[in-house]
Amino acid sequence: MKILTERMEAHRTDSHTIERYEATGGYTALRKGLLELGAEAVAAEVKASNLRGRGGANFPAGVKWGFLAPAKPAYLVVNGDESEPGTFKDRQLLERDPHQLVEGVILSSFALDVHHAFIYIRGEYPKPARRLQDAVDEAYEKGYLGSDILGSGFDLDVTIHLGGGAYICGEESALLNSLEGRRGEPRIKPPFPAIEGLYSKPTIVNNVETLSNVPWIVNNGGVAYARIGPDTSAGTRMISLSGHVENPGNYEIVMGMPWREIIYGLGGGIPGGRELKAWIPGGSSAPWFVPAEHLDVPATIDDTDSNGSMMGSGAIIVMDDSTDMVKAAHRIVRFYSHESCGQCTPCREGTTWLERILYRIVSGQGRHADIELLLDISDGISPGLTWPPLMTTICPLGPSATAPVVSLMQYFRHEVEAMIGDDDG
Amino acid sequence: MADRELVTITIDGVEMQGPAGEVLIKVAEDNGNFIPRFCWHPRMKPVGMCRMCLVEVIGPRGPMLLPSCTTRVTDGMEVDTQSTVVKKAQEGVLEYLLINHPLDCPICDKGGECPLQDHTMAYGPGESRFVEEKRHYEKPIPISELVLLDRERCILCARCTRFSEEISGDPLIEFKDRGNAVQVITFPDEPFASYFSGNTVQICPVGALTATPYRFKARPWDLEAVESVSLVDSVGSKVSVQSSQNSVVRIDGIDNEPTNQGWLSDKDRFIFESIHSDNRLTTPLIKQDGKFVETGWGEALDYVAEKLSDMTGEVVAGLGGANNTNEEAFAFGKFLRTIVVTPHIDAQLDDGLDPHFLVGVTPRAAIPDLETAKTILLWAGDLKEEYPVLYLRVRRAAAELGAKLIVVHPRATGLDDVAAHKIRYRPGRGPDVLRELRGGAEDYAEARSALDEGPVVAIVGRTGLAENPRLAEGVAAFVRDLPGGKILPLARRGNIVGALDMGLAPTLLPGRVSETSAHDLLEAEWGPLPESRALDATGILEGLRDGELEALIMLGVDPVRDHPEPQLARSALESAQLVVAFDHFLSDSTQLADVVLPVEGFAEVEGTVTNIEGRVQKVNRLVPGPGQTRPVWSALDDLARRMGGDLGAPSAAALAKEIERVAPVYHGVTWDALDWGEGREGLLLPIEDGVQHLEYIPVDDGLAPVNARYGLHLGRVLYDDGVRTRMSPSLAALAPEAKVYLNSTDAKVLGLEEGAVATVESAYGSAELPVAIDESLGRTTVYVPANLAATAELGAAVAVVVSKGEAS
Amino acid sequence: MKEVVLTAKEATAIEGWSKPSQQRSVEILSRYPDKRSAVMPLLYISMIENGYVTEDGMRQVGLLTGLSPAQVQSVASFYTMYKREPIGDYLVGVCTSISCFLLGADDVLAAIEDESGVPDGESGGDGTFSIEHVECNGACGGAPVVLVNWEMIEGVTPEKARELVRWLRDGRPDVVNTEEMQRLFGGKRAFDWGVKEPVGAILPVPAFGPYGSVGGEAT
Ligand SMILES: Cc1cc2nc3c(=O)[nH]c(=O)nc-3n(C[C@H](O)[C@H](O)[C@H](O)COP(=O)(O)O)c2cc1C
Ligand code: SF4
Ligand code: FES
Repeated sequence: MKILTERMEAHRTDSHTIERYEATGGYTALRKGLLELGAEAVAAEVKASNLRGRGGANFPAGVKWGFLAPAKPAYLVVNGDESEPGTFKDRQLLERDPHQLVEGVILSSFALDVHHAFIYIRGEYPKPARRLQDAVDEAYEKGYLGSDILGSGFDLDVTIHLGGGAYICGEESALLNSLEGRRGEPRIKPPFPAIEGLYSKPTIVNNVETLSNVPWIVNNGGVAYARIGPDTSAGTRMISLSGHVENPGNYEIVMGMPWREIIYGLGGGIPGGRELKAWIPGGSSAPWFVPAEHLDVPATIDDTDSNGSMMGSGAIIVMDDSTDMVKAAHRIVRFYSHESCGQCTPCREGTTWLERILYRIVSGQGRHADIELLLDISDGISPGLTWPPLMTTICPLGPSATAPVVSLMQYFRHEVEAMIGDDDG
Repeated sequence: MADRELVTITIDGVEMQGPAGEVLIKVAEDNGNFIPRFCWHPRMKPVGMCRMCLVEVIGPRGPMLLPSCTTRVTDGMEVDTQSTVVKKAQEGVLEYLLINHPLDCPICDKGGECPLQDHTMAYGPGESRFVEEKRHYEKPIPISELVLLDRERCILCARCTRFSEEISGDPLIEFKDRGNAVQVITFPDEPFASYFSGNTVQICPVGALTATPYRFKARPWDLEAVESVSLVDSVGSKVSVQSSQNSVVRIDGIDNEPTNQGWLSDKDRFIFESIHSDNRLTTPLIKQDGKFVETGWGEALDYVAEKLSDMTGEVVAGLGGANNTNEEAFAFGKFLRTIVVTPHIDAQLDDGLDPHFLVGVTPRAAIPDLETAKTILLWAGDLKEEYPVLYLRVRRAAAELGAKLIVVHPRATGLDDVAAHKIRYRPGRGPDVLRELRGGAEDYAEARSALDEGPVVAIVGRTGLAENPRLAEGVAAFVRDLPGGKILPLARRGNIVGALDMGLAPTLLPGRVSETSAHDLLEAEWGPLPESRALDATGILEGLRDGELEALIMLGVDPVRDHPEPQLARSALESAQLVVAFDHFLSDSTQLADVVLPVEGFAEVEGTVTNIEGRVQKVNRLVPGPGQTRPVWSALDDLARRMGGDLGAPSAAALAKEIERVAPVYHGVTWDALDWGEGREGLLLPIEDGVQHLEYIPVDDGLAPVNARYGLHLGRVLYDDGVRTRMSPSLAALAPEAKVYLNSTDAKVLGLEEGAVATVESAYGSAELPVAIDESLGRTTVYVPANLAATAELGAAVAVVVSKGEAS
Repeated sequence: MKEVVLTAKEATAIEGWSKPSQQRSVEILSRYPDKRSAVMPLLYISMIENGYVTEDGMRQVGLLTGLSPAQVQSVASFYTMYKREPIGDYLVGVCTSISCFLLGADDVLAAIEDESGVPDGESGGDGTFSIEHVECNGACGGAPVVLVNWEMIEGVTPEKARELVRWLRDGRPDVVNTEEMQRLFGGKRAFDWGVKEPVGAILPVPAFGPYGSVGGEAT
């Protein structure tokens, strides 16, 4: 069952063009939504679909839309900042089927009574942004954007905004600050964006993949979407497979297949006849899974959660038995330390301290006391070291840096100890 | 806040109440539970960054760790500030902060009054487990003339950056870089030249920002302090004056809700340097053969007493009193009226407004009315330059509280960025603008309709020194008819309202009463009072020049500098037979005196002062005056005795009691009622219609506009050449270069460009000034900053002639 | 989208910019309800005009957006793509985040440093190169990833990376383009890009529509 990638797989060379899009059923949902259903019905279909956000937090889109405060103007902001290590699915959707997103944006704006939508694309994605800009320009030309769209009386403008290189801008409130021309620092919540978002106005933020589903939902009905896959993980979703697998890439799957099937079936197994050592199921901030415990867990949102990790952004990073787990953990922690916005003391100082200790260990300067220290610093950022994490911080970036530390100590403590060896300090 | 509904919450098992929607940290603190914090400041929006104030709030799904500075209280909220999770989080934050914080407390200015130091003792972990190298930055760098930044000590609480952006509106200091590399810094070549920079030093929780004038001056545990009031502008900012070894070393702002809300301008903060200036007068001086000779008080007072006794009272006049306490001003007035027996008294130098208007206009606004105003009409000088603390209050009203601000001024002002409407006009054309605004002329239609939304607070004064004072009254007359219209008249000198209230005006007697109405009543107390018609400041100076008056007594005034017609002031002083000056310094005017008597001043005397809204507050004594300085009242009392009279001024406290008795509007205003302490905000004199003893109803008397080839806007600047500024080395360095400002088209017409020298000629004199281009000025309008040495000769002319200067 | 007209002061501030950049600035300002929002795209334009984000550039952007230079600096310094020091003609980035790391990105970076003689985080080679390691660039399925002026090459080996450096140094292409570089130096891609797209970057500024350094046909 393919919803998002059907067109691009069938039409390798031109799935991004408006001609191909229209020739394959594109913008019919728009007509149906604007001219037949009306705004409320479109919103109702999305609600009925049980579509959950694909940006990482899995929040039901329809429910979020319901929170939008009545103040006007309201805004729709599309999160195309895709920066969680391991994730590259939004890039494919942007490059290969930009009109699908544009149509989703128009329908969603219509449902939300929004007249200006913003699409925030990470700065490192000039090509996807360009394809999207072309699509937006074509949509204007065709009268799908601008004023009185399809004679429905509905007006919408779309602005594409390029980021400047900052992972934290994927966090929705940081993204809004960035869009306002500020430092990409997450805001304190509440108020949530739906109440006070862009320019302090009610704002819905949704991920690229989330909104790319909307045309299908409008065409086929929310109920049809909800019937795909397990109840609480409805629909298809994109997963990004990377690391030590034979066939890395993006796959659109119906949730619920066991992890074994993802890694060995879709991924084609571990190259070079090596053994699987561990994998990260939902982007680099997710706690690790190991073959001994998790291969047969079904890949659904709930099952992943109940096993102490998350589906997150759908990025699966596979590590084989040659992997130095301390170095891997260090590499992930280094990322979060580098990407900390710097507001919260525990994140700014704590993640850097974690990074420096791990660096010391991998450079052969580790001390046995470092193991407890690493865990204690993690505990100061994320009290109790539970998952989902408790936080001493404004946003979950800081706590994300503790996941690899905790997983490392949980499954591979002996490797850390071996690396430290006889410390003389 | 007062009318918000109260909710009940429980913190650590103790029930307490607070206003619904208030942040938890504040409610806890108001109820005696102090939650540690770094980034939170009660006068700024919470940002919840430092994470020091985390507490557990018991929610439906168990306890949640939340910052108490951003969490709003709701009824029934249960909070734990002592749980193990909370303790661990606090320890964590402190340990993280100390990772990079140098342990240089013994040499840090903040040592001893540092929340980081204190919190570490109270909540911190034992030893640091950090073995890596600390973050290093270049040691303290000067980020302005007044402020040094030590980035290693900074804990990145964003108090300074938020203050500059949110409160003072000059975002010159900002975060730079990201994550662990974040630092606070200015832009290269753009120093932190804010009039309010000292506030950031005060609110910095560590020693990262320090003030050059205070650096290494004292250790907190050596400091003695009193609460007092700044006399720089007439807002009446509450301050803590701090001394070490009998020397004032620091002034901090204190949060007084109706006035300064904790903030000060740098001028308020650093002008204390003048107290201990080497140029301070410490002995009486008598002029002999054109030169001052040091003498003793006895000799000096005998000399003055003898000279004055030889004159009839009415050839003597008094000027000044606006930089003194009410008690001093009162003694001065009483001395002139009952010992010398002269009516010629003025505390203003013809640069202000009609004294009756200043103290008596109704309906009168108080500063807190700005918090609830819908529309604010500002038709006065540039508040940022003249009333820095009031500027902050208006900025807050417009930027935070949603008031619509209308600024009417000849050129761009510091508040333009938050103004809903800006009306710029050519000096002299004010009456036209008023008429057009009143009538809702097309250009002003939107501003006019904003004024129909009350309550309206109008802040009126003179936009420039040359502006006709009657214009302010015309504006006030218009505002009286607006819905909920109230007027806050502005006069610049520190305690000018107090001085007028003490009767230092030709037509006023103590207590906000007019001479005519209260003459007989006061005679019952004081004995015979002078009968003849009194002269105002300009009249006095002309009288002296023309020989109709013979003697002048000056109390802390510098008419040669401050009177709009400096040449008149100079020749008046030169012509007078006797000039006696009570002062701190030899100024341009006191240089011309025959006798100069050194008196005590700010931080050396006790008394009261009255701010522009009519709020009476207490000032206190902390240090003795230098050398032979003595209080004004004591010198006057002594002088009176030598003249065979009795001033009845044995102490400031006794004078205060007499004021309370004889000055009607001051009935009930006692030192006891004014003494500072928790919740003491000073006493606001009755300001409603009819309650006060003088009611002045302004009329718009239809002034004719003035036409001239080039209109002159002579506006004041904060760091002018006033004597106290000049005697405060840190401030003196900040005085701007005098320039003549023109728009580029005019400059082109005159063949001038930026930096070229122009000659500016007025009816009084001329000046050669470099040209600066200012596009906010209309055509044929020039702006010249007043009271700088180079512009002094121009006087308060409305019209000038501008031409290419000799040098260009 | 609203009509934007620059004030005299604003127009003078960017007088020195090329005509297209001036036009784009106005166009950018018209795309946002609040001009402060234009600060990021305008910073890219200022990079195109000045080579990197200079002090003057920040002042100019401040004027256009109503911010103080310190505020512009605060924003610019938050984001890693705004370079505040002079950079080489080719900004070569090597992703060393987890997926690329697992597949040997550190070796690719080392090869590039060695071949170019420019260490990570620095510029050199007579202004030809700036070398930096970057965080995840969304091509994990095609790891390891190298970017030249933000044009991506996937599946790069250390050997190919050396060839790339030599190709840039010797050929000095005016426009760098993913398609061409992928063909010459790349390997496995994260996914199929679809049809060849001939547009590339002419500067170390993302080659995107109204505010990037979009260049024409690559060779
Ligand atoms: C540190 C951090 C990084 C994030 N990065 C992204 C991202 O790159 N893309 C994204 O769509 N959502 C990201 N999110 C999630 C967003 O905050 C937000 O939940 C999402 O955009 C909402 O859209 P959705 O409901 O459609 O998923 C991130 C969240 C956090 C805390
Ligand atoms: S947790 Fe880190 S990234 Fe998130 S707001 Fe705090 S400092 Fe910024
Ligand atoms: S005081 Fe609450 S987070 Fe800083």
